[in-house]
Amino acid sequence: MNRSGLLFRLAVVMVFASTIVVFISAQLFYRLTYLNEVEFANKEISQLYHTVSATASIAAYLNDTELAKEVANGLATNGVVHGVKITTENSVISSTVVSDNEPLVFTLNSPFEKNREVGKLAIIPDLKHIENRAKDIGEANAKALIAQASVVTIVAIFIAYILITRPMINIAANLHDTMPGTPHRLPVPDFHENSELGKLVRDINELLKQTESQISEERVLRKEMEILEKRFRMLFENSASPIVLMEPRGSILLHNDAFTQMLNKVGVRFKTNLGPLLSELLDTPEQLIKSVKSAFENDEIATGEYKLINQTSSGDKKQNSLWTQIVVTSIVSDDLKEYYQLTLHDISRRKKELEQLSLKINYDHLTQLQSRHAVEKMMLEYISSHKSFAYILIDLNGFKQVNDVYGHDAGNEILIYISSQLKKSIRHDDIVCRWGGDEFALMLADTSIQGVKVTLEKILAKINKNYYLSKYDKNIAIGASMGVSFYPRDAKDMQTLIGMADDAMYAVKRKSDSNGAGENEKSGLMFATEPVK
Amino acid sequence: MKRFRFIIGTLIFSVMFNNVMADNAAEVKDIVVVVNKDNPVEAMSRSQIIDLFMGKYVAFPDGQVAVPIDLTGNDSTKRLFYQSLVGMSLARVNSYWSRIRFTGRARPSVKQSTEDDIILYVSETKNAIGYISRSKLTDQVKVVYPFYE
Repeated sequence: MNRSGLLFRLAVVMVFASTIVVFISAQLFYRLTYLNEVEFANKEISQLYHTVSATASIAAYLNDTELAKEVANGLATNGVVHGVKITTENSVISSTVVSDNEPLVFTLNSPFEKNREVGKLAIIPDLKHIENRAKDIGEANAKALIAQASVVTIVAIFIAYILITRPMINIAANLHDTMPGTPHRLPVPDFHENSELGKLVRDINELLKQTESQISEERVLRKEMEILEKRFRMLFENSASPIVLMEPRGSILLHNDAFTQMLNKVGVRFKTNLGPLLSELLDTPEQLIKSVKSAFENDEIATGEYKLINQTSSGDKKQNSLWTQIVVTSIVSDDLKEYYQLTLHDISRRKKELEQLSLKINYDHLTQLQSRHAVEKMMLEYISSHKSFAYILIDLNGFKQVNDVYGHDAGNEILIYISSQLKKSIRHDDIVCRWGGDEFALMLADTSIQGVKVTLEKILAKINKNYYLSKYDKNIAIGASMGVSFYPRDAKDMQTLIGMADDAMYAVKRKSDSNGAGENEKSGLMFATEPVK
Repeated sequence: MKRFRFIIGTLIFSVMFNNVMADNAAEVKDIVVVVNKDNPVEAMSRSQIIDLFMGKYVAFPDGQVAVPIDLTGNDSTKRLFYQSLVGMSLARVNSYWSRIRFTGRARPSVKQSTEDDIILYVSETKNAIGYISRSKLTDQVKVVYPFYE
């Protein structure tokens, strides 16, 4: 049995209380009984006195010891009498026992004269006897009380158990087994529809009902949240672009698979901190940091294209270099903490395509020479930085015939050959390009007329040598006309320079055409403005 | 005292009424206690008379031995005497004596059959004391306690 259970406590308290009640009332009863007994004894004694008064009076009157003794002994046989003392005016006649107990004293009058006192009869009550009698009665009373109290207590405990404790224990047990949020409700105990217990149960049920509805609402909400979260996660996890959520100091809080894959691609092991703004991954992190700083200062999203470092062991690093467009967004959470969201779009392919496109623009595929565009770009750069240079336009003579007679392959073969000759003939700083068709252009950093002339004559000599076309077993003779203009001496802008060189080149061509000689002899060069000799 | 006298009077009256057939009414009324003329005792109280006749003392208040004289039988004067003295019938007086007999005390030992004999005995015995009707009173004895009055 549960020692702190309601029933046990109730029983203990009731037993304790009834014990106290029994004890106190037994004491009280004993007191009362004792007093009653004393009174009763006094009555008894005074009755005894009346019985013996005549004889006692005579004894006292006659001072008769024998008679007095008889009276005293007779009285002493009585239980309530402890001792008897008969006294006359001058002497004590009889005294059986001496005692401290207060005696009951009766006046003895002369048997002949009712007003003449002849002595006193003192009867000492036997208090012990009275006490014993009171005790006996008290004991019996106490026993009866105990029996009565036991019965009342047991009945009270039983009734309390039936009426209060058992329903409460049942309620407690039911409540204990009740899970909040379930439709389970407590039954109202029998006969307690209108009692406090019934009210308690109803209140508990009301509480359970509210809890249930609240919990189910919360459950629906949680489910919605879960779905939403799942979708968000899906969005995040399945994003093709790597996404990273990080603290400003660099700790990575969240990252998706795409980010991991990207790390694998560049051979970097994942760490929780890859430096502020992933600086350890970037080729030029300071650039990003700078741009993020300025963007955030202007409340803008920072974006830019950055090349990632490559730590893979494979040799062709250029091939695998990753370019990403990084978008950095600053997020401030509800608790005023700042986070950075970094999205890294892989733009390597676009970058590669752009590179290829730029190659296509700047290079001639066939001859592996730079294209006209590259030379024009270079010229503009030189002009903008006021660096002097010589521009030479070269047009092949006799090439059209080769194309017509032996086909494009032969023409291409000759173009490639001449290109390589041109490349060999110039210095590192100089540029040679295919200007278009059978036209080439040179840009020489040497600006002395003599130096240019020597270089160009060397080139002319190489072009003028017959080319052996193995496929047709023929020696082909190719010549070239060259027009030269100087920056900044001849002109200050590119178009004029080109035009002057073009004019000079055509002047050479006209001169050679009018000569009517072989292709080789037609070759020659002319300065746009004759040099001052 | 008035109350006491009334009670005594009532008793005497009832006794007189009881004996009206047998005795003279005047005799019944007056009883006197008498002693020898030479006895120095002149007057006694009722209690002293009771003490002598009921066996408490055997001497006069002055110390000389007293000899109380009783009447024999069931004499009306005797009856009246005890009735007047202690308010008891003769039967009760007898029972009193029988109750205390074993204690060694004795009722008056000298008995005379008539009042005249008492007068004679008292007049001849110096320390005798007796009772007679007032009507029988002579000069030979001295009254120490009269019941009338």
